[in-house]
Amino acid sequence: MTVSPLIQTKDLCKSYDNDGVVTPVLFDINLQISKGEFVAIMGPSGSGKSTLMHILGFLDAHTGGQYLFQGQPTTAFDDDDLARIRATRVSFVFQAFNLLPRTTVLQNIMLPLLYHPAVAVGEREKLALQAVETVGLMDRKDYVSSQLSGGQKQRVAIGRALVTNPEVIFADEPTGNLDSASGIAVMDALQKLNDEGHTIILVTHERATAEHARRIIHITDGRIDNDTRNFARVIASEKNHLK
Amino acid sequence: MRFRDTFRTALKGVTVNLSRSALTMLGIIIGVGSVVLMSSVGQSIQGVILSQISSLGPKSMVIFPGPEGLGPQGVTTGFDSLTFEDLSEIRKLKSITTVAPVIFVVAVTSYGNEEGNPRIVGATPEFFENQKLSASMGRLIDQEDLDGAKKVAILGSDALEKFFGSVSPLGQRIKIGETYYTVVGAMDPVGSQFGQNVDDRILIPFTVAKNVSGQKYLNLITLQAVDSFDLAFDDIRTLLRYRHGISNPENDEKKDDFMVHSSEQANRILGSVSLGLTMFITTVAAISLIVGGIGIMNIMLVTVKERTQEIGLRKAIGGRKRDILLQFLSESVMLTVIGGIIGMVLGVFLAFVISGIVRNYLSSYAFAVSVQSMVAAFFMALFTGIVFGISPARAAANLHPIEALRYE
Repeated sequence: MTVSPLIQTKDLCKSYDNDGVVTPVLFDINLQISKGEFVAIMGPSGSGKSTLMHILGFLDAHTGGQYLFQGQPTTAFDDDDLARIRATRVSFVFQAFNLLPRTTVLQNIMLPLLYHPAVAVGEREKLALQAVETVGLMDRKDYVSSQLSGGQKQRVAIGRALVTNPEVIFADEPTGNLDSASGIAVMDALQKLNDEGHTIILVTHERATAEHARRIIHITDGRIDNDTRNFARVIASEKNHLK
Repeated sequence: MRFRDTFRTALKGVTVNLSRSALTMLGIIIGVGSVVLMSSVGQSIQGVILSQISSLGPKSMVIFPGPEGLGPQGVTTGFDSLTFEDLSEIRKLKSITTVAPVIFVVAVTSYGNEEGNPRIVGATPEFFENQKLSASMGRLIDQEDLDGAKKVAILGSDALEKFFGSVSPLGQRIKIGETYYTVVGAMDPVGSQFGQNVDDRILIPFTVAKNVSGQKYLNLITLQAVDSFDLAFDDIRTLLRYRHGISNPENDEKKDDFMVHSSEQANRILGSVSLGLTMFITTVAAISLIVGGIGIMNIMLVTVKERTQEIGLRKAIGGRKRDILLQFLSESVMLTVIGGIIGMVLGVFLAFVISGIVRNYLSSYAFAVSVQSMVAAFFMALFTGIVFGISPARAAANLHPIEALRYE
């Protein structure tokens, strides 16, 4: 019996239709991502990398080809199915953090659990506190987002992404708004999550950030022009595992 | 998303900007408050009128001289359409009983140094029966007083207070015009009947009033319907029109030179006034709630715009369309319901304050709250929240997650 890849696309296309003006963005994307991979999707601004991430993360729909999630075609999912997948199996870390204002670290991290159908009300705080602990913000759990630095905000966003224990975490330019030290801390946190078994799909235009991934997919003008193993990272990761 | 979570999220949305929420609710507060206030005041006024009507009894009737439209105030202005011959003929009607003619005497009344102008009413014993007047001390006018044209007087409670205070008036002699009368009784306070203060009166025997005034006509006739008010009314009208030579087939009451009023009629008028008042209140409520609702819709649309990124985030972390819809709908319903409750409390409070003030001038005015109108106002507020909240909530629910996340 063959195991289906977690994510598989076949000739996936995406175009936008603005009042009859059709703008193609992605062309014939064919890729497979297995469970536990750390993949960076790289490309210049406007190349379509974020659009691809939104489609893979069920935030947007493709207009051609196929997208299979664990072997199931996603066109079979209705709005509620997609919402349930976003609530339970995938999560996001955005460049702009997207934290709720006037809301504490703990409440922000707890937010996805409101929409999780399988988490009991009494479990929420415990799970959220675990996530706060994981991202190292226990001493700031009652701070509101305006009292945090950029790096801390992104760690809250990572905590929010991992609190539901999703299979895939999508990170869209997670270091884009951070200084280099904070950026490294955020990437280390994502690396740690990957080591724990989460599949990480990272979108970035920075080579240094992409170097954290074990696989780098390069997109130019809506097409995959390179899909390579990042051997330096793979070797480093293997060394870590052997330690 | 569970209902409790939706409720909490909506509550946070409402409380996060309290001053804006309060201003948004203002329209609903004023609308619901005014409805509760008006209905409460309306009910109190109804109570006052009803107490006056019920004090007369359901079959009590009064015939006034003069055409309809002048109202009972016209009775002393010299209309001479009700004659003693009319009285004799009216007494023969089978549909009425206890016919009591009345003559008013215009004269200054004095006792010691106290002087005043209470209404002097020449009445028969039947008058007391018709008007449900009772003695608080002494006695009322009897047949002997009437037959003997005795110079006796019965004081209304206000007249008693004015001329005698706490001193017993029985056996005292008061001067009305140029004639002295012996006070033989005083009446229990009544208030108003047919719009007139009954307590500010002094009653003397009808025969005496007739002699003193020299009047050839009556100022009014009180009576009771034997059974049906309508039958009695028709009989009186037909008789008086015939006697006064009035041809009025179209029943235009302004062509008549008399008016027939009754408790039953007043009750009917009150019924139509109540209906009018209800319609007025409903109209005011509808207008104010529409205005308030538009205010809420406006603010909710602004809120959706302001919180577009939050909506995008909630969708990205698993929020369904109906979760977002319910969240924003709950916020608008919460605004209208909280506004409605504040409005109700304010309306009741103002009605209470007003009743306290009015009671100083009108003792029968009592504080009343219409539970029906409060329940109606509450549900109207709830309904307003749903109707005017649905459009912004749907706009929020239908936002595309990516467009919402990117919104600036």
